[in-house]
Amino acid sequence: MGRVLVRNLHILSVDMESGIDLQGSVIQILGGFGIPAGLAKVIWMPVPMLLMLVAATVGVLVTVWLERKISAAAQQRVGPEFAGPLGTLQPVADGLKLLFKEDIIPTRADPWLFTIGPAIVVIPVFLSYLIVPFGQNLVITDLSIGAFLWIALSSITPIGLLMSGYSSNNKYALIGGLRAAAQSISYEIPLALSVLAIVLMSNSLSTIDIVNQQADYGILSWNLWRQPVGFIIFWVAALAETERLPFDLPEAEEELVAGYQTEYTGMKFALFYLGSYVNLVLSALLVSVFYLGGWSLPIPVETLTQWLGVSEFSPVVQVITGSLGITMVLLKTYLFVFLAVLLRWTTPRVRIDQLLNLGWKFLLPVSLANLLITAALKLAFPVAFGG
Amino acid sequence: MLKFLKQVSDYAKDSFQAAKYIGQGLAVTFDHMGRRPVTVQYPYEKLIPSERYRGRIHFEFDKCISCEVCVRVCPINLPVVDWEFNREQKKKKLNHYSIDFGVCIFCGNCVEYCPTNCLSMTEEYELSAYDRHELNYDNVALGRLPEKVTLDPMVQPMRELAYLPKGVTSPHDLPKGSQRAGRRPEEILEEIEAEKAKRETASAESEKN
Repeated sequence: MGRVLVRNLHILSVDMESGIDLQGSVIQILGGFGIPAGLAKVIWMPVPMLLMLVAATVGVLVTVWLERKISAAAQQRVGPEFAGPLGTLQPVADGLKLLFKEDIIPTRADPWLFTIGPAIVVIPVFLSYLIVPFGQNLVITDLSIGAFLWIALSSITPIGLLMSGYSSNNKYALIGGLRAAAQSISYEIPLALSVLAIVLMSNSLSTIDIVNQQADYGILSWNLWRQPVGFIIFWVAALAETERLPFDLPEAEEELVAGYQTEYTGMKFALFYLGSYVNLVLSALLVSVFYLGGWSLPIPVETLTQWLGVSEFSPVVQVITGSLGITMVLLKTYLFVFLAVLLRWTTPRVRIDQLLNLGWKFLLPVSLANLLITAALKLAFPVAFGG
Repeated sequence: MLKFLKQVSDYAKDSFQAAKYIGQGLAVTFDHMGRRPVTVQYPYEKLIPSERYRGRIHFEFDKCISCEVCVRVCPINLPVVDWEFNREQKKKKLNHYSIDFGVCIFCGNCVEYCPTNCLSMTEEYELSAYDRHELNYDNVALGRLPEKVTLDPMVQPMRELAYLPKGVTSPHDLPKGSQRAGRRPEEILEEIEAEKAKRETASAESEKN
C-alpha cells in the first residue's frame, strides 16, 4: 500500500513538474543549430558544474567577508574597509596573497601525504554541491541517494585531515588531525540519524523530494515544526563537522597553534581555508533544504499565483518564481551563516572530553529517540508525518 | 524506576538551562552589533592627549642646575647628567644631559622632583625607531617641542572619552561647541567667585545693620 502510494506520488510529482528546465531548453536550442541531442547534452553537461564551482567559490568570498564584518560588529570594531567598497574585496586580496606565497614543505614531512591531504579535504566538500538544489530543476544531479551521498562524502574529509596532520611531522598538527578525526566520526552519527528522520518523513533520499514534501502549506509545512529536536541536533552536529566554534578544537589556537594547518602555507593553506568555508556554506544550505523548505517561499507559490490571478506555468512567472526560489535558498542559508558567526563570538570552546560527551552521551541517544519517535508518529499520524 | 525518571528529568532540565544560557549569550552578542564602533583610524585620526599625558620628556638646558635629583628619584637612575665644576664661578657647568627613552618607563618622578622645573612631560608618544639606540635622546633632542595633533593638517584630531559630552562614546561627528560632561575648571572658578562676591555683599549688608 505504502509503495503504491509512493509510486503514485512520484507520478504526480512528474506530472506537476514545474520550474525551468534549462537543460531541455539548451538542448532544444542547440538542436536548432543542427547539433544532435547527445552532443548537445555533452556540451551542456560541464556548464552547471562550472557554474556551481564558481557559485560555491563566490559564496565563500561572501561568507568570509560577512564573517569578518559580523565579527567586527559584534566586537564594536569596523572590520575590513579599505579593500573595495566596505572592504568587500578583502577576501579576494587574502586569496591573492595566499596564491603568491611560497609553498613550503617541512624537511622531515612526508611530501606526498602533505600535498594530497588538503585536496582530499576539499574535493568531497565541493562534490557535495552536486545534490544542493536551488529550484525544481536547478540542481546538478537529482540523485535518488542525495542525502546519503552527502553523508558518505563528508566522512572522507577526516581522512584528509588525519593525513595532513600526520604527515606534517609536528606534534600540534598530529594532535589536531587526531582531534579532527575523532570529532568528525562522533558527530557523523547524530547528523546521519537526524537526516534519517527527515528521510523517513519524505520517503526519499533525494533532496528535491525532501523539499517538495515541505512545499504544500508554505512555512507551516517546513520540517522545522515537525522535527525541532532533529533540527537542533543537525545544526549542532553540522557546526562540529565544519569545525566552527564552539567545536573548533582541531585548530584551537591557544593550545595547538593551528592544529593540522600549522605547517601549511600558500595555496595548500588556502585550500583548507576555502574548504572550511565551503563546508560551512554547504551545511547552512543543507539545513535550509532539510528543515526550512529549501527554495519554497513562506507562502506557497500556487497560492500567490492564484491571488494574483496568473498562470503558474507562464514563462515569466516561472522565471520569477525560479529566481525567487534561489533568493529564498540563499536568504535561509546566510541566516544560518550569520547564526554560526554569532555563535562563534558567544560560546566558549568546549574541552575535548566535553565534546565527546556531548556527541556520544547526549546527541546520539537524543537523535536516536528522535528517529524512533518520528517513526512512531509516522505510523500513528501518516497524514502529518508523510506516511 | 522513579530514580531513573528523576535522573532523566534533571538531565533534561540541565539541557534546557544550558540552551537558555546560550540564548542569553546570543542576545548579548546580537545587542553589541547595533552599537557603533569607537575605532580611531590612527594615522588619519588621532586622539588629543589629555593635559596630564605622560609622554616624551622635554628638557630645558639653560634651567638645569646639575643637581642630579632626577637621577636619584629615577627608579633606574636613567638620566645621564654630565657636568664639571667651574672653579672661577664656583658653579656646576652642565655639558650634556640625556635620557634613553628605550628604557624610560615614563613614571614622571624626575619631572615631579626637578627643583628648577627644567623637565616636563610632553604629549608626544610616537617614539618608534629602527634602532633602539636612536631612542637615547641627548639634550638637543630633549629640547625639541612635540608637534601638536590639532595643528597637523594631515590629521583629524579626536577627543578622548573623558572629553566627550555625557552619553557620547564616539568622538566622530561631534556637534560644534559640544562640551565634555561635568563642569570645566573655569566654570568652577566662576562659581566660586560668584559665591564669594555674594558672601561679601551679605556680610557687608549685615555690618551695615
